[in-house]
Amino acid sequence: MTTIRLTVNGRAIEADVQPRTHLADFLREQQLLTGTNLGCEHGVCGACTLEIDGAPARSCITYAIDCDGASVRTIEGFGGDAPMAALRAAFSAEHALQCGYCTPGMLVTARDIVIRLPGVPEDRIRKELSGNLCRCTGYAGIVRAIRAVMAQSGTPSGPSLASTEPFASTAP
Amino acid sequence: MTPILPAYSLMDHDIARARPLPTTGVGASLQRKEDRRFLAGEGEFVGNIKLPGMLHVAFARSAVAHGRILAVHKPAGFEDAVFTMADLEAGSPPVGPIRVLSSLPGFKPSSQWPLARDKVRQVGEPIAMCVAASRAEAEDIADAVVADIEDLPAVVDMLEARDAPPALVHEEWGDNIFLETLVEGGLKGDAFEALKRGAAVKVHRRLRTARQSMAPMEGRGVVCSWNTRLDQLEMHTAAQMPHINRAGLSETLGIDQASIRVIAPDVGGGFGYKGILLPEEICLAWLTRHIGRPVKWIEDRREQLIANTNCREHHYDITVYADARGRLLAIDCDSVIDSGAYSSYPFSACLEAAQVGSILPGPYKMEAFRCRTWSVSTNKPPILPYRGVARAGVCFAIETMVDAAARAAGVEPHEARLASLIEADEMPYDNITRKHFDSGDYPEAIRRAMQAIDLPRWRARQGAAEPDGRLIGVGHAVFCEQAAHGTSVYYGWGIPMVPGHEQCGARMTPDGRLELRIGAQSHGQSLETTLAQVANEILGIDPDHVRLVHGDTGMTPYSTGTWGSRSMVMSGGAVAEACALMVERVRDIAAHLFQVPLDQVMLAQGRVSDRAGGHSLTLAELAHVWYRQPQRLPPGVNPAGLEVIGGYKARVDTGTFSYACHAVAVAVDPGTGAVELLDYVIVEDAGTLVNPMVVDGQIYGGTAQGIGTALFEEMRYDSQGQPLASTLADYMLPGATEVPAPRIIHMETPSPYTTFGQKGMGEGGAIAPGAAIANAVNDALRPLGAELTELPMSPRRVMAAIAASRAGGVIGSPHAAKGQAA
Ligand code: FES
Ligand code: FES
Repeated sequence: MTTIRLTVNGRAIEADVQPRTHLADFLREQQLLTGTNLGCEHGVCGACTLEIDGAPARSCITYAIDCDGASVRTIEGFGGDAPMAALRAAFSAEHALQCGYCTPGMLVTARDIVIRLPGVPEDRIRKELSGNLCRCTGYAGIVRAIRAVMAQSGTPSGPSLASTEPFASTAP
Repeated sequence: MTPILPAYSLMDHDIARARPLPTTGVGASLQRKEDRRFLAGEGEFVGNIKLPGMLHVAFARSAVAHGRILAVHKPAGFEDAVFTMADLEAGSPPVGPIRVLSSLPGFKPSSQWPLARDKVRQVGEPIAMCVAASRAEAEDIADAVVADIEDLPAVVDMLEARDAPPALVHEEWGDNIFLETLVEGGLKGDAFEALKRGAAVKVHRRLRTARQSMAPMEGRGVVCSWNTRLDQLEMHTAAQMPHINRAGLSETLGIDQASIRVIAPDVGGGFGYKGILLPEEICLAWLTRHIGRPVKWIEDRREQLIANTNCREHHYDITVYADARGRLLAIDCDSVIDSGAYSSYPFSACLEAAQVGSILPGPYKMEAFRCRTWSVSTNKPPILPYRGVARAGVCFAIETMVDAAARAAGVEPHEARLASLIEADEMPYDNITRKHFDSGDYPEAIRRAMQAIDLPRWRARQGAAEPDGRLIGVGHAVFCEQAAHGTSVYYGWGIPMVPGHEQCGARMTPDGRLELRIGAQSHGQSLETTLAQVANEILGIDPDHVRLVHGDTGMTPYSTGTWGSRSMVMSGGAVAEACALMVERVRDIAAHLFQVPLDQVMLAQGRVSDRAGGHSLTLAELAHVWYRQPQRLPPGVNPAGLEVIGGYKARVDTGTFSYACHAVAVAVDPGTGAVELLDYVIVEDAGTLVNPMVVDGQIYGGTAQGIGTALFEEMRYDSQGQPLASTLADYMLPGATEVPAPRIIHMETPSPYTTFGQKGMGEGGAIAPGAAIANAVNDALRPLGAELTELPMSPRRVMAAIAASRAGGVIGSPHAAKGQAA
């Protein structure tokens, strides 16, 4: 056991962790923050995405002991956050979730996209999303939701494809 | 039972139409009631459940595909924490094997012991169950379990398994064949032979579709405990069919069904993967009672990919006959399905082949049909019905063959299809395998798809060389999606689980809210919303005032569960019946309360009133009187009150037929084999759409999975039966950059047989992409004389097909006939 001190959702925490425990297990099992879902535990699916020191990160391939001194924010920690509130509303309006399992990780990634890359075109949004797998939605609603939030914040996603047009720039 | 609602017309009732606001009832794109908890990160997935004193389980699993178990050694010091089949059999009653029989003659059953006994028949088969205070410690113990296994040759390829088996998966059978079937229709014998001789066009291919993993984002998982007060097993499990899991647990554990409660909490996607009784469920059910502690097992992704069920592995040796215009005359096919090591509960090892034999004709008319199928056992995980089930493979087979026939006839593929499809004015139509098509206009779907994809523009573009050297192709595929199969269909297929009548329990609470209890389970299908829309349509109640209870055998009527795109038809029908009964109860109470004749009482927009206008109550006010102020009610009021069970069975139970045409344009890079989707159009007809937003979501999601089938997803095995994809880095799920947003165009031809005219449609998106994209890719490769005959069309397969055509004009990829290679 190693003692770590970190901030989780704005709260200072001191905890004993085993060296082999990854951050997601630490949060889910020891902190009872089960909003972070696990889809693969080998860093591919993105379901476990949360924020470490303000940037999206995969909690399944991050050891808890490496988070000593870090500030971690999970899906439970975005209460008063305006971009997240807008994304949540847009996800529902655009049917960007079905089973909801990928959703917490997807929202954290989506929030990063709308803040870091306002106004980028759809193909860039899709590239940025490529580390988050969703088996239910086919990504259509997720992409639309992100574009909608960009549009609301006055930075509409760049020229791209409304869903009624051929989707690739190479279309005739 | 006579349905209360013979068809969608409340006008049949002596009540005013409970006309909803257009934003809430059937047909509204209502935002989902279930979203809030998932957006907040508050979904209750099985992995989130913790019980006091709970222990964790990990399984020691077979490292080899086929072998005889000589001994299993429990690690020293952990004898009490490790359990083998011998321990489970020593209990009273002893735990038995999973045995799932098809009722079709000649079927050979398998015995799948929850923990391997005598033999292992696939990599990952559980051998020992290990329990500890944490999952990590349980895995440590599992790693220390040693199994002495005498290797046997692995049966890996399905054709080899049938024709030249290196071993027998189940020795007592004498071969490796679960079941062989023959389906014939139309001309037979000499007449069929004469047709074959006279046909202007004859095309023959060997086609293969890869084994896949269904890969919902959440895997399986079980948390269970023994409730000593109720003397009842309480199991939370990520499952699509909890009542079926209960039945299977009862059969294998030897305890009665009332002693078992199965709860499927929030479930992170199913797609068929969670429609099974798991060996792990049986093990944990035994364990919690044996050790007197709650226990938990959560499947990890490696377990899922290595050990647990797969889907979709088909081989077709198929010949299609057509006339000079490409009109279909006959199909003659031998099909082999790799069913894996065991027959799974409840769908059996034969559902896939049963579907192949009966639905291969698709929506086409023809004069003769013959299909022989073999469900073959190999040393690989069992297969389960994945979204679309056999339809995806069947659609690939028939639709690539129709294109091949059109090429041979020198006509555009859509012309060949239009010449062969069932016409709208022939509906309802019984086809050559006696499938009963309920309604629809298939040719119109193709015409609209051709218009939307703009075929002439792509043909023009093909005429000019692309600046980047890529080859342009355009293709399409049409299919029918029989859904909400009823009793006769499953009985006829020999499946041991036969769906019958569906019920809904409805209760109005004392404050006028509505509780609906259904035995199906919603895990992304949005039933909490869409069934509230149905209630709104009938009762006028605000959907926000409707609460759906589902997925809990302790709370809900029996149901075979959520599979086969059946919930909106079956549960939707049952909810409508229950709500119609509730309308009658509400009116009866109101008539007594108002002291007016029953026919003077009407219910509209959530208010009950008398026609003269003297009285009016909200549902909440009426419920309050019923429950809290019964002194106000005169004698004679129906004492059954505001709690009802409504039951539903479609008037014609052969299922609804949704259909669609997918049209796609691609660019194929002949230097790398990469395929890019340039445009994708779906013309879909699912009858009356209860919630168009949800329907589109199902189409988008299904199509994404179908694109995975077409281009990326493949469970490969080496010659020893070792799985070659054990992580999501090896098993390629399509991401946001691989999946375009298709353009969806709806047609809405109601089913004449369902409550609102709705048709099951949850699987359709996944059916056609393999076929449509293959046709487009083959269209692109035509100038090179190359043709793809296998899915997925990975870059390696595309390059192999090009190389083969250059080497000697061989049609088809070199691996089409045999082998796992890609
Ligand atoms: S669970 Fe972390 S990336 Fe999949
Ligand atoms: S909503 Fe189910 S995985 Fe994304």
